[in-house]
Amino acid sequence: MAALEIQNVRKTYGGKTEVLKGINISIEKGEFLILVGPSGCGKSTLMNSIAGLEEITDGAILIGGEDVSGRSPKDRDIAMVFQSYALYPSMNVRDNISFGLEMRKVPKDERTAEVERVAKMLQIEHLLDRKPSQLSGGQRQRVAMGRALARKPKIYLFDEPLSNLDAKLRVEMRTEIKKLHQNLGTTIVYVTHDQIEAMTLADRIAVMKDGIVQQFGTPQEIYDEPANIFVAGFMGSPAMNFIPVQIQNEGGGLVAKVTTRDGRTYSLPLGERGACLTNYVGKQVTLGLRPERVTQVNPHEVERADVMVLEAEIDMVEPTGPDTVMHIHLNGTEVSCRVAPDSAGKLGEKMNLMLDLSKAVFFDIESQARIG
Amino acid sequence: MVNQTAQSSMNWSRINRGLIYAVLLTAALFYLLPLVVMVLTSFKTMDDIRSGNLISWPTEFVFDAWSKAWSTACTGVRCEGVEGYFWNSVQIVVPAVLISTFLGALNGYVFTKWKFRGSELLFGLLLFGCFIPFQVVLLPMAQTLGLLGLANTTAGLVFVHIVYGMAFTTLFFRNFYINIPGELVKAAQLDGAGFFTIFWRILLPISGPIIVVTIIWQTTQIWNDFLFGVVYGSGDTQPITVALNNLVNTSTGVKEYNVHMAAAIIAGLPTLLVYVLAGKYFVRGLTAGSVKG
Repeated sequence: MAALEIQNVRKTYGGKTEVLKGINISIEKGEFLILVGPSGCGKSTLMNSIAGLEEITDGAILIGGEDVSGRSPKDRDIAMVFQSYALYPSMNVRDNISFGLEMRKVPKDERTAEVERVAKMLQIEHLLDRKPSQLSGGQRQRVAMGRALARKPKIYLFDEPLSNLDAKLRVEMRTEIKKLHQNLGTTIVYVTHDQIEAMTLADRIAVMKDGIVQQFGTPQEIYDEPANIFVAGFMGSPAMNFIPVQIQNEGGGLVAKVTTRDGRTYSLPLGERGACLTNYVGKQVTLGLRPERVTQVNPHEVERADVMVLEAEIDMVEPTGPDTVMHIHLNGTEVSCRVAPDSAGKLGEKMNLMLDLSKAVFFDIESQARIG
Repeated sequence: MVNQTAQSSMNWSRINRGLIYAVLLTAALFYLLPLVVMVLTSFKTMDDIRSGNLISWPTEFVFDAWSKAWSTACTGVRCEGVEGYFWNSVQIVVPAVLISTFLGALNGYVFTKWKFRGSELLFGLLLFGCFIPFQVVLLPMAQTLGLLGLANTTAGLVFVHIVYGMAFTTLFFRNFYINIPGELVKAAQLDGAGFFTIFWRILLPISGPIIVVTIIWQTTQIWNDFLFGVVYGSGDTQPITVALNNLVNTSTGVKEYNVHMAAAIIAGLPTLLVYVLAGKYFVRGLTAGSVKG
């Protein structure tokens, strides 16, 4: 039985603006679902609908097999961590955590025990008597999570919980949330616009845009087999390269033609990845190639059938530390390459680069959907 | 050279400062003068008033005028001073202020956190109440009070002030609550709190500054009201402002300026006291919410 099932959910404002256009998602107990997408894609609306803070226009939301679509938020057995933390300003940390228990008429001694347990787990025991205004951002974050954890609900909802923290703390809290999930085995729905958070935390990701789930799958599926150009471009940093190429049949195999800026044309051997392209021979498609597949020449890989070396002029160099990102031009589009810092060339130089097509994906130019 | 410039600029800033203080002091004295005259006159005897000039020091300080104003001065046909009317005012002000403040808080809460279809329009209409001149509502209100059986009663006056004050109190609380993040209410909803629990436990405890502002505002408005008091109150229920007017206009030969002044100060004292005690919260409250706390 699914812990959370979203069936064909629609949400319209004032009968005109459709924010959610038929969402279908289902996750099992203990799974970590991430809703990711650019702002305005409907992910927060979907989360509020799960919480019951917004009514849905059509469809059904099932929690633990029960239809909760018509129920008020408090009767859905869920807890939520908000972006602004939404801690009650007039109450100290202890009361903040136990407020939900009090509202559910849990006896006082049980409440005290529960606050102790949660505080210990999140290491906020020393903060229990402070007011939210006396806490730092990271501490507030912990208290907000403590408040959600105290009730042991069926589902936890996290609405961009880390976006108010500074970069370092964000990474720390990310790890902590992941640990918490692993230790407690809770079912979590988590909204973010940060694709790294999505990749690192999720068991399943739903990539949303314009009120439609573009793709629903495991992080690796989404990274390796993106459903369309939007998903491919949204997940991964630096973003995937999209190169318009022509598919041709050369020497019994399919190749994609690319031309460098100085006019040299290369035929990229597509190997097995090209199997789905038989109907596209002689036509244009968009080749999707992640930056880490365009690297310095590694001698032990050059021999592979789906690897190709070409020489190109370097337009830009961005050192990031572990790798250096360089930009070159292929078929008139900018292509970013991820090169080991020691091998990186200088601006304006020409350099031999290795294109690994074993994970290449192809998109239809018209529909933008992945081919195959 | 450099030193000289620094020296002269320092001199200039001293002169500037001196000028500013001089202007401020003059203005303060000018505005305080009426009060000074009132206080001095209230401690004079009638002979003293007749012989001396307006701002002269009393030849001797006597409290006769104060005790007369409080308990024996004639307001119309009755000669019992303003004491009774003072307590009338208290009886009107306390419930009217508390109830109108509470209703304003509740309205503000609904208008910001529980918006419904047409709530903005309703709020706009309610705001009209802030701009309607008192005189316009006199007759319809008199009729309403008659229908409710509240004519010429303290309860009736309280009712009028609640209705009239609600527009302002709602505006105050609405503008305060609009800056409180809605997520707070959502979090409380998820925690299982209902409409009134959220109001009592989450919003009211953080409304201190705006409650102070509203109470000061309403106390001043209602205590100082004359028009409603003179129209809807009669005899025993009239507030002190009306009594003061009657006292001054009741002429039994001599105009007892010292008694009039003492009565006027008594009438003004409570609002003055509220300002002195809570004035700093008033300024703080008016600017509250402009900076995220």
